[in-house]
Amino acid sequence: MWFKILKFELKYRANRPATYIYFGILFLMSFLAMSTDVVRIGGGAGLVKENAPVTIASMMGILSAVFVMISSAIMGVAVLRDFDHKMESIIFTNPIKKLDYLLGRFIGSFIILLLVFSGIVLGFMLGEIMPWRDAEKLLPFNAWNYIQPFLTFIVPNLFFTGALFFVAGALSRKMVVVYLQWIALFIVYQVTLIITSEIDNRTLAAILDPFALSTMNNVTQYWTVVEQNTNVIPLSGKVLINRLIWVSVGFITLIIGYFTFSFNVVKSSWFKPKQKVQKTEKFPDVDIPKVSQSFTMSVTLQQLWKNSWFYCKDILNSVVFKAITFFGIFILVLNSFYMGRVFGMNTYPTTYQILQLIGGFNLFFLIILVSFSGELIWKERDVKINLIYDAMPVKDFVNLLGKFFGMIMLFIFMLLVLLVTGVLIQTFKGYYDYNIAVYFKTLFTETLFFLILYTLLCFFIQVIVNNKFLGYAVIILFFIASAVLSTLGVEHSLFQFAETDLGPYSDMNGYGHYVTSFSWLNVYWLGLAMILFVLATMFSVRGSEALMKIRFKVGKLRLTKPLVTFLLMAVIVFIFSGGFVYYNTNVLNTYQNSDENEDDQAEYEKTLKQYEFITQPKIIDVNLKVDLYPKKRDYNASGTYILRNDSDEPIDKIHVQQNPSSQITLDSLYFSVSAGIEEDFEKFKYTIYKLEEPLNPGEQLKMHFKTRFVTKGFVTSNQNNSVVYNGTFFNSQQFPSLGYNEGFELFTDDDRKDHDLKPKERSMERDDPRGLANDFFGDDSDGIQFEIVISTDPEQIAVAPGYLQKEWEENGRKYFHYKMDQKMANFYSVISAEYEVVRDKMTINMDSTSKDVALEIYYNKGHEYNLERMMRSMKNSFTYFSKEFSPYQFSQMRILEFPRYSSFAQSFANTVPFSEGIGFVVEIKDEDDVDIAYYVTSHELAHQWWGHQLIPANVRGAAMLSETLSQYSALMVMKNEYSMENMQEFLKEEMNRYLSGRANEQKKEMPVTLVESQNYIHYGKGAVNMFALQDYIGEDSVNMALKRFVRDWNIFVEKERYPTTIDLMGYLRAVTPDSMQYLVTDLFDKIILFENKVETSTYASVGDNKWEVELAINSKKLEADSLGSETAVPNNYWIDIGVYGEDEDGKDKLLYLKKHLIDEEDMTFKIEVDEKPTKAGIDPINKLIDRNPEDNIKKVTEKESS
Amino acid sequence: MELTITNLSKTYSNGVKALNDVNLTIPKGMFGLLGPNGAGKSSLMRTIATLQEPDSGTITLGDLDVLTEKDEVRKVLGYLPQEFGVYPKIDAETLLDHLAVLKGIANAKERKEIVKALLQKTNLYKFRTKNLGGFSGGMKQRFGIAQALLADPKLIIVDEPTAGLDPAERNRFHNLLAEIGENTVVILSTHIVDDVKELCTQMAIINQGNVLLTGHPEQSIEAIKGKIWRKRIEKGELEDYKKQYTVISDKMFAGKPEIRVFSDGQPDPSFDNVESHLEDVYFTQINAAVKEEAADVV
Repeated sequence: MWFKILKFELKYRANRPATYIYFGILFLMSFLAMSTDVVRIGGGAGLVKENAPVTIASMMGILSAVFVMISSAIMGVAVLRDFDHKMESIIFTNPIKKLDYLLGRFIGSFIILLLVFSGIVLGFMLGEIMPWRDAEKLLPFNAWNYIQPFLTFIVPNLFFTGALFFVAGALSRKMVVVYLQWIALFIVYQVTLIITSEIDNRTLAAILDPFALSTMNNVTQYWTVVEQNTNVIPLSGKVLINRLIWVSVGFITLIIGYFTFSFNVVKSSWFKPKQKVQKTEKFPDVDIPKVSQSFTMSVTLQQLWKNSWFYCKDILNSVVFKAITFFGIFILVLNSFYMGRVFGMNTYPTTYQILQLIGGFNLFFLIILVSFSGELIWKERDVKINLIYDAMPVKDFVNLLGKFFGMIMLFIFMLLVLLVTGVLIQTFKGYYDYNIAVYFKTLFTETLFFLILYTLLCFFIQVIVNNKFLGYAVIILFFIASAVLSTLGVEHSLFQFAETDLGPYSDMNGYGHYVTSFSWLNVYWLGLAMILFVLATMFSVRGSEALMKIRFKVGKLRLTKPLVTFLLMAVIVFIFSGGFVYYNTNVLNTYQNSDENEDDQAEYEKTLKQYEFITQPKIIDVNLKVDLYPKKRDYNASGTYILRNDSDEPIDKIHVQQNPSSQITLDSLYFSVSAGIEEDFEKFKYTIYKLEEPLNPGEQLKMHFKTRFVTKGFVTSNQNNSVVYNGTFFNSQQFPSLGYNEGFELFTDDDRKDHDLKPKERSMERDDPRGLANDFFGDDSDGIQFEIVISTDPEQIAVAPGYLQKEWEENGRKYFHYKMDQKMANFYSVISAEYEVVRDKMTINMDSTSKDVALEIYYNKGHEYNLERMMRSMKNSFTYFSKEFSPYQFSQMRILEFPRYSSFAQSFANTVPFSEGIGFVVEIKDEDDVDIAYYVTSHELAHQWWGHQLIPANVRGAAMLSETLSQYSALMVMKNEYSMENMQEFLKEEMNRYLSGRANEQKKEMPVTLVESQNYIHYGKGAVNMFALQDYIGEDSVNMALKRFVRDWNIFVEKERYPTTIDLMGYLRAVTPDSMQYLVTDLFDKIILFENKVETSTYASVGDNKWEVELAINSKKLEADSLGSETAVPNNYWIDIGVYGEDEDGKDKLLYLKKHLIDEEDMTFKIEVDEKPTKAGIDPINKLIDRNPEDNIKKVTEKESS
Repeated sequence: MELTITNLSKTYSNGVKALNDVNLTIPKGMFGLLGPNGAGKSSLMRTIATLQEPDSGTITLGDLDVLTEKDEVRKVLGYLPQEFGVYPKIDAETLLDHLAVLKGIANAKERKEIVKALLQKTNLYKFRTKNLGGFSGGMKQRFGIAQALLADPKLIIVDEPTAGLDPAERNRFHNLLAEIGENTVVILSTHIVDDVKELCTQMAIINQGNVLLTGHPEQSIEAIKGKIWRKRIEKGELEDYKKQYTVISDKMFAGKPEIRVFSDGQPDPSFDNVESHLEDVYFTQINAAVKEEAADVV
């Protein structure tokens, strides 16, 4: 019998157009995602092939999660439709067994569901073999790569979601309940995403994620390119557990469903008991009172208000709305625990942080907006009261406008709820510095406008399409089309609906210059939205006519005078504001989309690359005068460079490159000798001057220039965030430089290929003389004398490298004169803001001398939280570095806060600009927290040595000399101040940075000594491996090597070339005993990974306060090539073996830690300890690179006495 | 005030001719629109109620052009559609008050009074705080009537108002309409002949978009007086009789068909002359139209 029902189900579904539409959607999405760049779903980048098994699996996972609504639509209605179509009485009175009915329906629908989702596989496969595919980005076709993830991920996903929806539909007999489940699943997924941000939670997230997306990410997070290209994600470990859990959930649901389902047609609990009607013969004899009707403006307004409130309340009362909102806020609160995490630490819950958090609610807003705009437009028709409503004497716009206002009231209410939630989160976190004004200014401008615009758009679409579900589809299409437009190069804000950016809020600069462009764009889009609204009013269905032709006829009748006036007004607003925006972005300023930008970059390279290595004089002296006008966001600059011919041949041409920004104009440029323009590449702002008399070796000349930076009108993209109202920060790149700038070239292989350019090397070989001759700041200079006068608004302080010579006021402006007393790198900053200043000083005692150093922090008022820590870090760092490496070359250090448009800190000579977004607002609560303010300060100060005293050559490995050594220096300063656990916490983050970084490598992974500006290597791996090095050979030895290195290679010593990692390695090897040389090789010259693991660990009591731990370990050492192919290499290492106990507080305490020689893969150790052991392991502190650090330690269990 | 319909035609996009050159003049009082299901009654009523556009023709209500001055018509209109729903989670009083606002009853006190009066009138007062979702079909229908009577309408259009009402409720409703219909244009559509007989002073029979007959019910009955004949026949004979006579209706009576035949004189002695009813008028018209059409086809 059940088989008959199944067959019927298949036949029924085979005749439903929906079945084919669903299949078509999935097929098309998959086909486009695989075969074009227009639709992107996750997907590989760089060296990971577009059809790599991991890429396919993750795309399948995402599709099956996103389109779980198809699952709900197919499975949810399997039983439900009998109720919807009021067929239940007929069907259920037939002699069918419950089991047959349910089983037949379930299996039938599930088969259909599988067939529908097989569209993904077919789409992918077909997409892969399309002739236009770039063979280089593809692996050879392999059907298993598609079938395996389909079976592993899609089928279980469909099974358990299908079971859930099927049972929910059958039991509740309400589609709403099915949708609510959909939301609930989404929430579980969100939760797993949120907790994933903490490394410690990742395994849990991997096991819990219903769609197994986190699971896939977790399992493959450290997979190298080769692994991603060759391995399918195996159905084992976490993946297996996850799949088992969710498939069981599916089965359990089905079983519960079977026992709960009943054939009773009337389910009493779901319906209100019917009212008994009182029978009376006559209607009561009451007179119907006469009432007055009026149709004045005020009555219309009253109707509008009543309607608005009616619809608002209607949504407020809906279960779906409550569920979405509840879940949204739940997610928000959950997110707040992880908000603004930097290195496992919280930033202060400042209002803008909270607002960023609330920004995450926008997704829920969008769901509410899209679904309820459809619901409201169809409200009357859905309950069939539309004819009564439509015959009411209300103006045509009242109904639609009432619905719109209803939505807006709802949104305002929700925004207030979010505001209160935000304030509560702040309060619970013990932060009471609420900035209510900023809450309002963001939520009721940016967020509210976004909601208004999209609501009006959705209304319009729903009205015109005049079919709720088709309307939803069109809205989704609209979103896709916007995205497609922008990938096709239509990026201008005038074409991207409701893209109005209020920018990041900064305590220093407020919303700054973003306000103007934001406001105008909103006026523009509101104009359009009003036009759409009038059209919606005209064409909305009133009565029973739905044909477009007739709606058009009726629509014309509705164009009353006020409506026409309103429409004209809207058109004028739209056109005028659009024109004004265009005038600002494209006439006053230069607009380029990213394609045009790339074209320019390519052309620059093709035209000027020939000049890259021509001999140029060096800048030896820079003297600047910069007048800043922060309120206008302008500056005027004039300057003089002294150029000297340091080569041994005469130079007769000077190549000058201006900053390419269209806001910068060169007013004049002349030399102290006569010269003419030989060639001017105006487009690239590249000019070749010919000197009448060549500049002979050793001779100097002066180059004078005047430039202007002018802000005209506003732009809507690529905002200039460096010259701002409060918090100007730019560097020397704003001023003219000499010769070709390699940094302007296209970078990624893909972009270069599009422009017929060969892939470029990221760095030069370590023995390339052209690289060795220049430092990593560029080839313009080998160090400069520096002097600058900056003027700015009187309430601001302007700062540049050098020492303050004089400070004065003139003509209502403030002037600052700085001068550096020694040679410094040709790399300087100009900063100006309203600052509070905290000053301190210290004396650095060295062997024979001592030096006074002034310490200053320039900060924004209110950001006092970590000043003390930063100050302490400065003192400790200077003391340590001066003692261990070399004396500090300056007598002052200044840290300056700049707005959070970027999040970094950067070291200039005696000057460190430090972003508002890091350090200043980090909340360091527990002892266990990594003190990031302390650490970053120390790191930047270390750059005064590694980067400013010792400047690396511009070849591979340069970043090891600057960044890795700074990482090491800061780690050592921190080690003296903080606990081992703290260091471990920090190194764990750095290890993760390295391992996940290498999984995303675009070209090739390099060993540390050959690093090519790869953050994950020079910061992440560098920190971990330098820490390991000092652990093995001793801090003193490492410092000794560095001391010698900086002594021999600092910029004050005359030398032929700049240093490289070859030099550094020489010093390091010199202090390393022969027995440890292999270690230095492994850490820095090779890519080595360990797989250390505890197999078993037991303990037995052996007398009074003596325990013996028996530990069986497994240790593998692997060497990887630049793409991540690994080969096992013999292990012959000394590795930590450790045993933990517990202290009084129940915290881990090391009882034993010693290096043991590991010369076999499987080894057993017996260790005696004096306290009761709890855990034991190999390399328990994770000093060595290991992709599974969790299994390095295991709980010890009492040995069974035998 | 009089409602005049002139040359009104409407063909739906699927080809169904809903209204075919309809001409009607509807004076004050109860006007019955009689016709089988699908005759075009609802199309006509929706068109009068400003909710549908005809392809051609005009409708005027007094000086108002119903087709273009929709807003003005709606101010004086009370409309009960054939099929309608209500918001299930809202109580009767709230929804009626809300509708009263839309009717332009701006004064809150007046609104409260009329809502109360109408709920009493329709016997819903004690359920006024009940959610409409819990209403039975009859209660819902009464609510529909209540809303149609808001603000003293001059033109009341009620489409199949007694569908779903039990006999007692139907009676009550008739009384209510009769009370109101005295100085208002009330158009009532129905396929139940008795409704019209009991209530209406004027009526029209409409089928397949055509107006077959207009007039006073009693005059119409008078016109066929003495021309209706009845006979009980055997089951198998029905087709033969239909060929031979103008059979206007047949129904089962005690297990045997009983036919009614329209004829100026007694067809044969086995036929009894019977008193003519409105029903006979109705069936005479409908069947004649059907026959004519059949003839057209041949």
